Amino acid sequence: MCFQNLPIEFDALGNARLKEGLDPYAYQTRDLDRSKVEKLLASNGHVKDINLDPVTRVAGALSFHTVVDLEAGKVLEAHSIATLFRGYEVILKGRDPRDAMFISSRVCGVCGGVHSVASSLAMEMAFGIGVPPMGGALRNIQLALDFMVDNPVHLYLLAGPDYSQVVIERTNPSLWEAAKKTETRHGDVHGFKTMAELFTALNPLTGKLYLEGLQMTRPAKEAYAILYGKYPHPQTVVPGGLSTTVSLQVLNETQLRIIRTLDYAKRGVFIWDDITEFFYDADSRYQQIGTRPKNLIDTGMWDDPYAYDGTYAGAPEWGERRWATPGVIIDGELVTTNLHHINMGMEEFVEHSYYDGWEDDGVPFRTDPAGNPIGPNHPWNKETKPRSDQRNWKDRYTWSTAPRWDRQVVEAGAYARLWTTAAAAKMPHTRFLQATGTSVKIDTPQTAALPAMEFEWKIPETWNAFERNRARAYHIVYSLMVAYENVQIAFDLMGQGENKAATMTEFRVPRNERVGVGFWGAGRGFLTHHLVMDKGVLTNYQIVTPSTFNASPADPFGQPGPYEEAVVNTPILEEFDSGDTFTGIDIFRAIRSFDPCMPCTVHIANGRDMIMQDVTTCACGAA
Amino acid sequence: MENMISVPMKARVDVPLEGEISRSLPDQMGNVAGAHSAELHQRLLETGGRMDSMGPLKKVYVFWLPGMSCDGCSVSTIGATEPSIEELLTGALPGVPVMILHHYQFQMESGDHFTHLLEQADAGALDAPYIIVYEGSIPDENLTVGTEPWAAKGSLPLWAPADQRQRRSTSEWVRRLAPEAAVTIAIGTCATWGGIPASLGNPTGAISMMDFLGKDYRSALGLPVVNVPGCPPIGDDFTETVTLLLKFMNGQGPLPDFDELGRPAWQFGETVHLHCPRGAWYEEGNFAREFGGKECLAEIGCWGPVVNCHITERGFINGKGGCMVAGGACIGCMSPGFPDKFTPFYKRPPQTTPATTLSRMHGALTKPLRRTTQLERNREPRWKSDATSGWAPQYDNVTLFHRSFEYFYTRIQYFRSELPGRNEKDEEKYASGYVVPPEAAYGKHYAQWLPERRAEEARKRGTYQRPGLSPQADGFETPVQDDQE
Ligand code: SF4
Ligand code: SF4
Repeated sequence: MCFQNLPIEFDALGNARLKEGLDPYAYQTRDLDRSKVEKLLASNGHVKDINLDPVTRVAGALSFHTVVDLEAGKVLEAHSIATLFRGYEVILKGRDPRDAMFISSRVCGVCGGVHSVASSLAMEMAFGIGVPPMGGALRNIQLALDFMVDNPVHLYLLAGPDYSQVVIERTNPSLWEAAKKTETRHGDVHGFKTMAELFTALNPLTGKLYLEGLQMTRPAKEAYAILYGKYPHPQTVVPGGLSTTVSLQVLNETQLRIIRTLDYAKRGVFIWDDITEFFYDADSRYQQIGTRPKNLIDTGMWDDPYAYDGTYAGAPEWGERRWATPGVIIDGELVTTNLHHINMGMEEFVEHSYYDGWEDDGVPFRTDPAGNPIGPNHPWNKETKPRSDQRNWKDRYTWSTAPRWDRQVVEAGAYARLWTTAAAAKMPHTRFLQATGTSVKIDTPQTAALPAMEFEWKIPETWNAFERNRARAYHIVYSLMVAYENVQIAFDLMGQGENKAATMTEFRVPRNERVGVGFWGAGRGFLTHHLVMDKGVLTNYQIVTPSTFNASPADPFGQPGPYEEAVVNTPILEEFDSGDTFTGIDIFRAIRSFDPCMPCTVHIANGRDMIMQDVTTCACGAA
Repeated sequence: MENMISVPMKARVDVPLEGEISRSLPDQMGNVAGAHSAELHQRLLETGGRMDSMGPLKKVYVFWLPGMSCDGCSVSTIGATEPSIEELLTGALPGVPVMILHHYQFQMESGDHFTHLLEQADAGALDAPYIIVYEGSIPDENLTVGTEPWAAKGSLPLWAPADQRQRRSTSEWVRRLAPEAAVTIAIGTCATWGGIPASLGNPTGAISMMDFLGKDYRSALGLPVVNVPGCPPIGDDFTETVTLLLKFMNGQGPLPDFDELGRPAWQFGETVHLHCPRGAWYEEGNFAREFGGKECLAEIGCWGPVVNCHITERGFINGKGGCMVAGGACIGCMSPGFPDKFTPFYKRPPQTTPATTLSRMHGALTKPLRRTTQLERNREPRWKSDATSGWAPQYDNVTLFHRSFEYFYTRIQYFRSELPGRNEKDEEKYASGYVVPPEAAYGKHYAQWLPERRAEEARKRGTYQRPGLSPQADGFETPVQDDQE
């Protein structure tokens, strides 16, 4: 492991240390150059400046600006804009740390539970407490159920309509003609004979798959409510576990719902396999929709209930025992699976966001609790200072910040979780799930309509919008099998009389200065909560969400964020006569494949010149 | 830091922002289906023949405006089942006009095509009444004049004259659409009371819909803001309220009751404690000492006894879940004042200790009496000594104390009424004529003469005794007289 851009080196034992230098973390800001685009815009009628405000069928408030050359079928420029700011990080400052679970959960209502858990993990680290195995198992089930809501909602209600009959017929008539004649590969499983039938089922309001997307997520929400009270904001997450009253009834009702939705999830894999293959066959340039370098990041999630101890020092070990292995992929190569490395490499930049910098406020932490160097832009050192400004493509244009890892643009997603797990092949649990180095294998038991099946998600050769959606369909099955394994663990624990799901009730909130970080995952991937507390209250709280990574604007080095990159790489394959009939469907497919969620992308705030933390954009947009 | 509430009623009017250059619409950018969702919706319903609402209104537009929200209210709503959102959308409910939903998570179109319908509503050009639903709190956009709003949704349509193309803050949409809306509904605690974005220390000056529109606001139907609180709200609470309102607008039902804060009165009239499954633990004075306990959660910080909510009665989704049902203490998320009036969470509320002390004292008296009675009641009358359970052969070995307790208890229980099996007309009780061997059914402590006698009678007459027949059908002309005495 070595960092390419950060001034950190490793000795022979693998211990990190800062490279020599006056101000090793200093960097030169590169101005964004728009002169070419502006010239083209001024002189050419077929170059269009397009403002999409708002982009619909995403969670939260996202708008998008692009410049498209309609003649060449090329996107020249793209800007992703988070249009909502709520100031959660500011609100959290000065509060009892335990309130953070409930308050930070409200950062995002699309996947609220993940924030409460990340928050309780950060607190466990700060308080120095662990979690009983039952608590660990139930936490795993919780997040798996969350994804059984999140991912299908995205695949069938948000992104799905982009592949529906009404859209394809309008934007690509020739494709629609082909669809009518093409037989599906897996019609025997999902029941649609031709691709046209399948696309019709994706139609909004009337399509079978669209309506199922509403209905089949309900059993998962029920199971979630049974265990955690409410969805999306759970009521039973506490530092040190869960306050759920566990009984056999609760476990039985949960397991039933997992099995009932598993059938649906299995079918989904074949549907998205068929959609992907159809588009690839129709025109191989579809492999370029939403493509960008294979740079991905994930924190891993679903702790081994017997390995997790809540310490920062132990993070590399318990991290690798997770059902989803933490990791960073750069150019398709796995560079690390160590949570310390992931944490060290994180930085957040606000050069193109509506925030002031915090360079005048000193650097409270030069190292993490394990002695590894961290920079002034690391979340533990960051302060959130919102300052609304005019929109300017060269300067500031979004409420989202720009998180980077090792100063490289990385993308987060449910698929990143599968990818790091597959590539690392360190996932130790093999009853149903297996990581092979190039794929993850998922064994599923027999369910009501489908026999036992083995699925294999292989690390894709090209990386694009279709692969993102396809991986998401696999990810649903993967999470449900994690949930299934964990219900079994919970049943076993019940059998041993171990039904305690939380460590303790009477906390003594420490009065001295403590730091903590929760590494967890959302429906859209990577999630961290960094907290600093002193005298029993929070003094800094920073949330980095997956959509903050994905929706980020350009960084000071001039590298655009993942949405922007993906859109710029997208060829325009739509069939249109003139600029007036152009709808931009390819751009939408590229953006939506990330499953944007803006509520948590932006969570900055500022109180009277005090610097506050700011939350970046997550799947939920602006916090 | 005090809340920065300033000039709530007059949201700023935006000026065009610099940095937004030429836009050459009207064109089809963002209109991926070639028609807006509202048109598609209308078409689907017409061809599917679902537009008969049995009243004057065929459809009602519902504009769902998200302000400073987390989208949790939308997520809750799509989980609702009483009725479900798809039933409302597809005209599946007779008497309820079809709801044409305009929601950023459901629309096919983006950008200016999305804001088009809002513009039409603003211009009074819609062909049916509309309702607005607001999710999230309303920031003070006076703090951002001339710069990027805290919460924005859309720009003015691009076919508007260049100098009118503006970024639109969500509060600006509310200001424009609320006066003509048939009903204005605030969903979720952020919109109803302010919620977390409006809590102490917030930088955006956020307030609630009620505060924003003011005391004198009335919708076109003459209603102040309707509030369906909750963080997140129960989806069913919202869809139920909307359905009832739609029925009312269509002349198919009464105007639902609302309480003094505009909440649906039948949902929020009582405290959540009154329906709590742990309520009886409270009454007996049993309180959970640690997380996961099945007792009342009052002492680990439950605010249930003072919070208006009914999640313990309705469940969260499909009748399942609910905070205290699962084991989470109430944090008052449906209440005005959330979160600051209820933090720090998990700290025992001040009124709790006096109240739980009283109920402990009450419990100390009632519990032993109940347990003794329970021991006696929890037995078949024929188990005079041990129960026949193979699970615990010594099941509840009854002592002399219990026997005498039972003796007096039974006397009181049957005081001035009949103890079965003593003086009564047995044939009426055993009229079904069952054929279980009496020995097995009753044990030797019970009068066994009747079935045997009946069997004998039946044999005498040559009739077969079948279960489930009246005595007459068994061959008895007249009821058998009690001749044992
Ligand atoms: S748990 Fe809360 S609502 Fe339920 S009985 Fe106890 S105090 Fe009341
Ligand atoms: S019980 Fe309390 S915390 Fe739960 S939904 Fe009701 S008001 Fe909110």
